[in-house]
Amino acid sequence: MRGAPATIRQTLMKVLLLTSGAVMLTTGLAFGAYDFLTYRRQILHNLATLGEAIAANSTAALAFENPDDAQEVLSALRADHHVVAAALYTGSGTRFASYPAADVGMRALVSLQEGYRFESGYLIGVQPVVQGSRRMGTLYLKSDLGALREWFASFGLIAALVLAISCAVAYLVATRLQKLISHPILTLTETVSAIAEHRDYTVRARQLQGHEFGLLSDAFNHMLERVEQTQARLQSQLGRLDLLHRITRATGERQDLPSIFQVVLRNLEDELPIDFGCLCLYDAKADSEGLSVAAIGARSLEHPLGPVVSRQERVPIDQNGLARCVAGQLVYESDVSAAAFPFPQRLARAGLSSLVLAPLLVEKRVFGVLVVARQPANGFSSAECEFLRHLSEHVALASNQAQLHGDLQRAYNDLRQSQHTASQQERLRALGQMASGIAHDINNAISPITLYTESLLEREPNLSERTRNYLITIQRAIEDVAETVARMREFYRAREPDMNLTRVSLNQLVKQVIDLTRARWSDMPLQKGIVIRLQTELSVDLPDIMGAEVEIRDALTNLLFNAVDAMPEGGVVTLRTGASLTKSDEDAVPIVYVEVADTGVGMDEETRRRCLEPFYTTKGERGTGLGLAMVYGMVRRHSAQLEINSVAGKGTTMRLCFVPALTASLVAEHHPPALNTSHGLRLLLVDDDPLLIKSLREVLEGDGHSIVVADGGQNGINTFQAAVQGPEPFSLVITDLGMPYVDGRKVAAAVKASSPATPVILLTGWGRRLIAENDVPACVDRVLSKPPRLIELRTALAELSGVSGRTPAKAEAS
Amino acid sequence: MRMSCAPCLVALLLTTARCWAAPPSEYQVKAVFLFNFAQFVEWPARAFTDTQAPFVIGVLGKDPFGPQLDAVVRGETVNNRPLLIERYRNIAEVRSCNILFIGRTETGELPHILEALKGRSILTVTDAEEGAPGGVMIRLVTRSNHIRLRIDVGAAKAGNLVISSKLLRPAEIVGGQG
Repeated sequence: MRGAPATIRQTLMKVLLLTSGAVMLTTGLAFGAYDFLTYRRQILHNLATLGEAIAANSTAALAFENPDDAQEVLSALRADHHVVAAALYTGSGTRFASYPAADVGMRALVSLQEGYRFESGYLIGVQPVVQGSRRMGTLYLKSDLGALREWFASFGLIAALVLAISCAVAYLVATRLQKLISHPILTLTETVSAIAEHRDYTVRARQLQGHEFGLLSDAFNHMLERVEQTQARLQSQLGRLDLLHRITRATGERQDLPSIFQVVLRNLEDELPIDFGCLCLYDAKADSEGLSVAAIGARSLEHPLGPVVSRQERVPIDQNGLARCVAGQLVYESDVSAAAFPFPQRLARAGLSSLVLAPLLVEKRVFGVLVVARQPANGFSSAECEFLRHLSEHVALASNQAQLHGDLQRAYNDLRQSQHTASQQERLRALGQMASGIAHDINNAISPITLYTESLLEREPNLSERTRNYLITIQRAIEDVAETVARMREFYRAREPDMNLTRVSLNQLVKQVIDLTRARWSDMPLQKGIVIRLQTELSVDLPDIMGAEVEIRDALTNLLFNAVDAMPEGGVVTLRTGASLTKSDEDAVPIVYVEVADTGVGMDEETRRRCLEPFYTTKGERGTGLGLAMVYGMVRRHSAQLEINSVAGKGTTMRLCFVPALTASLVAEHHPPALNTSHGLRLLLVDDDPLLIKSLREVLEGDGHSIVVADGGQNGINTFQAAVQGPEPFSLVITDLGMPYVDGRKVAAAVKASSPATPVILLTGWGRRLIAENDVPACVDRVLSKPPRLIELRTALAELSGVSGRTPAKAEAS
Repeated sequence: MRMSCAPCLVALLLTTARCWAAPPSEYQVKAVFLFNFAQFVEWPARAFTDTQAPFVIGVLGKDPFGPQLDAVVRGETVNNRPLLIERYRNIAEVRSCNILFIGRTETGELPHILEALKGRSILTVTDAEEGAPGGVMIRLVTRSNHIRLRIDVGAAKAGNLVISSKLLRPAEIVGGQG
């Protein structure tokens, strides 16, 4: 029993058996007690009767003192074996006779109380012996309680038998009777276990018989019904919670409003479900415009009566639920068919009767409305309305976050672009500086070659033809080197100088670009086994245009590079020039164009859209993202047009359209004949490059000038100051710009300080850049770039010496 | 129990000692016997003159009891009748009497006495020696120091006396006729 709790069957059996057992035991004890007392009285009475009989028979023996007779009378007691002792006493108390005869107990009777009583385990009787009215003596009787013990034994046996039989009968009866109580309870218990096991609350208990059991089963079934309803409510609530969770998670994974709206509507249509759903955006600042439909559920669009609303449609806000909704309330119209306003009417016409409008609120500002509808009237429960309210809050939050995320992304992109630009400019600046340094060194290095070559060609009439040709080739090569160096420098130029428009022949430029870039489009691809064919379709009689030659050339170079890069498998690049009229507009304008067409991979839509952005590149690490941006910058500065035609997989054509030059010759650029117009000038040459000094000195001495050389800036200043007050002051100073410790600027300044009228020519490896940056020191009359051309040098000397008397000379330089 | 035994035994010893100190004489016992006969014998109503008449024990002849008999009956009654002792010198003096003790001195007169008493309800008692003529209802016989009764049932019946069967038990019965 211990361990497992008793079943109701066992408990009931126990109760019934214990109850009947207790009753029987009590009854048995009562009967026993009564019987015992009765029996006791009876044996008392029996003894008394016996005593009286003995006493009556003993009177004569006592009266006539016949102990033998008395003895005989007493011996009759033998019949009752429980009487253990008896004695007759005379009236004076003397023992007269005794039983058993041999007993030698009491000889005399001493005032024993008369009567019969139980005393110390015996029944004692003291009976007076009376004849008539005369007391003859006293009879003493002593009986043991064997009779009582015998009675006890037999009573106990009978009682035990009765008890056993009663228990058996009670057991049989209880087995049947306990079912009356235990059966209904067990039936209920089985129902309960079945429910607990299967969690099926649709099970009902059988109707039980009996008042209380009937009430119990009714109450139980009622409770089950309540549980079932609660369970169903919980289930649907859980389902909606799950839906809310799924929608929230799905919207959290999306960052753009349209897809957030779509996922919300799709989930609502599939899961809630609804018959119609759309999301409208609302701008409080322009409320006259009403709501604009931003998204419509996919199934709502396939509505059998046609779409209720269409995307981007404007829904006016009148005095209907929408007005309350945009004020921030959740609006539930249980039946819209009665509503007189246009929007509910449209829904009603589509067979939709119940409508819920949930505001999308962010920071107490309504920016949209979630519209859901169902066909039956009263189609939404309050729990569903509550769900839609929560959902709208989540959607609003997600939308707001999507917008914030977009803002953040844009800000981040801007920041990244700025950083990229900054680092790019830093790189360009470093490259520019490096290029300038290299150019300076090269210019210095080739200066003697130029000077000597020119000098030889001019002054040695006896040169053989072959030597002369060689010299001319050297001269041209040096000029090319100088041009290349200059262009290299231009390439990395950071800032635009003032536009210096000249007449430019596009055909000429195209040829130059092809020559310049041959390595890039022919040799390098061939190394990788790629064949790129380059063809030109140049229009004859092409009008010149006004433009910066260098910039246009750079632009064409970039376009050509892009064309080559677009053809990793090889292909054809076509450079085409031509003249035409602008396509559109009423007054068509003639244009001159040059285009670069390739048969490469082409551009997709996004690349096409963004290709002109600075630092946008599809070439990965190889590209700077600046090529087309530079091209575009050039186009803008020239008021030209850039046309891009690209088909992904087919190729790209980039066309630059220029306005043709109006007149045939606007500026005739011509050099005066390089004649040695000045003679016998006393010149001071300041430089730290001995090779340059030597070549320059020899060339200028060949022109008849007298040259004093100073090695370094400080020497130059000392020499000039020593001579300025002397008999032979210098008529002109030529100084290098870049020198250690004391550079050309300081030399010029010192010269002007001592003799403001003395012209100063500054020679520089950075020459053009200095000019371009408009950085000519005020005390310098002329800047000549290295390598110095003899013609330029002579021209400058002629001009400056001619005006040497006039002041200020620097006006010429600006 | 053992505690209460001691005083009980002492009391018993004292009483028995007193009894043994004065053993009753022969006629003292016989006096008691005479009185006791009144308890065991029923007399017919006509034996008494009226309901208040005393119960008379008579002694015929020489009185052997002395004062013993008077001491025995003093203060006693029989069936609410006072007891009266009468002494007779001869039979003629016997009038209203219920128990008549006939002394040894009258042994010779016995037949005569019995004849005179014939038809009267008088219980006759004698302690005459063996060999004396019969006809006396109760004879007191001394046997091995004990006084025994010998009852002539026929004589008693002739006198219309009913002797209790209890009295017959310790007695020797003779003359069962009638």
